[in-house]
Amino acid sequence: MDPTTIMAIACSVLVFTGWLVLPHAPKTVKPAVVVSEERQPVAISA
Amino acid sequence: MPGMKIDSGDTAWVLMSAALVMLMTPALGFFYGGLVRRKNVLSTIMHSFFILCLISVQWVLWGYSLAFGPDKAHIIGGLDWVGLNHVGLTPNADYAPTIPHQAYMLFQMMFAVITPALISGAFAERQRFKAFVLFSLLWATFVYDPIAHWVWGAGGWLHNLGTLDFAGGTVVHISSGVSALVAALVLGRRIGFGQGKFEPHNATMTVLGACLLWFGWFGFNAGSAVTSGTLATSAFVVTNTATAMAALTWMTVSWWHKRQPSVLGAAAGAVAGLVAITPASGFVNVMGAIVIGFGAGVVCYAAIQLRERIRVDDALDVWAVHGIGGTWGALATGLFATVAINTAGANGLFYGNPKQALIQLVAIGASWGWSIIGTFAILKLVNLIVPLRVGEDEEALGLDLSQHGEPAYADVSAF
Repeated sequence: MDPTTIMAIACSVLVFTGWLVLPHAPKTVKPAVVVSEERQPVAISA
Repeated sequence: MPGMKIDSGDTAWVLMSAALVMLMTPALGFFYGGLVRRKNVLSTIMHSFFILCLISVQWVLWGYSLAFGPDKAHIIGGLDWVGLNHVGLTPNADYAPTIPHQAYMLFQMMFAVITPALISGAFAERQRFKAFVLFSLLWATFVYDPIAHWVWGAGGWLHNLGTLDFAGGTVVHISSGVSALVAALVLGRRIGFGQGKFEPHNATMTVLGACLLWFGWFGFNAGSAVTSGTLATSAFVVTNTATAMAALTWMTVSWWHKRQPSVLGAAAGAVAGLVAITPASGFVNVMGAIVIGFGAGVVCYAAIQLRERIRVDDALDVWAVHGIGGTWGALATGLFATVAINTAGANGLFYGNPKQALIQLVAIGASWGWSIIGTFAILKLVNLIVPLRVGEDEEALGLDLSQHGEPAYADVSAF
């Protein structure tokens, strides 16, 4: 196995196994905010 | 010229690739446009759209001649091809012997278009449009065209030295990324920088822009084979692989560092991977692409942390992604290149040729040096003619209204 292949495998293993130790959920969750410029519903008559 | 016959498959692929690369510039506009505040989105998109128009004309008038015309002292192309004189429909043996010369010129035009557009991310939200116009034209002429000639032009000194740059790690990404850093330093920070985070106004627009960039980049890299055969296929495969690996790596590093798997981080990581594989795409195998993508995710993310620490307001991180990603890619080409992929290339350090890594370092140093000197001089010159920055009130109002008199959205009162 050449050095490039060994490095590629090592990089992939590092990333893939890294996910096992990462947090299950984000540290903080921002509440959803309704932006003020959201369009208001309009009544449409037939 | 005897022995040169136009190949319809090669021609079709290069024309299609030119169209793919053309799409990258408006895609960049959307990528950047999503990252700025809503009062500046239209001006940010306009930077990319305007440059598409400007360089399309500059390139046929004199840009192509300076970059690819008959060599003058190994530094610059001559003016023999101004106005596309002598650039016809018969192939040019030096650049692409199986397609019309104008097809090659058109393909290269799209590279010249996107490069100054990349810089615009550094001075977003504060540069005066008139100053931007002058800067872009001068920069394309005095920075991009010479570096393109050094590396890609027949007779260019870095070309003669043996530099490997398949699709523009030095010519496109180091030049634009380093120039972006200079521009950010010369223009100074935006009002309010450091007092709070400038939140991207539309992350979905940015992710869509990144996806379109990824799509167009297949033309950028695989099209640089200038043939439609095995080399284009290999470049296509390694481009996709490195991009995916860089996105995975960036997301993982930011997840570890910030405790969140960032969507914008994954998109930025993909772009970093595309940048890094660009110079190597015609010279490395798929294992090399994985290492290059991994490296791009790590070093570009680290560069952003450094940029934040030293408080440089490179608004959309052009230096970190393109300058540092391009530098890593150019160096990595000298490490992982193998003639098993491209017999016209050379082996890199890990295939028994350490000299190639040194050649790549020379090309990196030259690209950094000329970009710093040229960009600084051009910015100072432009500033003598028209102020580079808008006034404080114009910056507070937003560039969409202050520079273009048009809001991006119907209700612009809430930002």
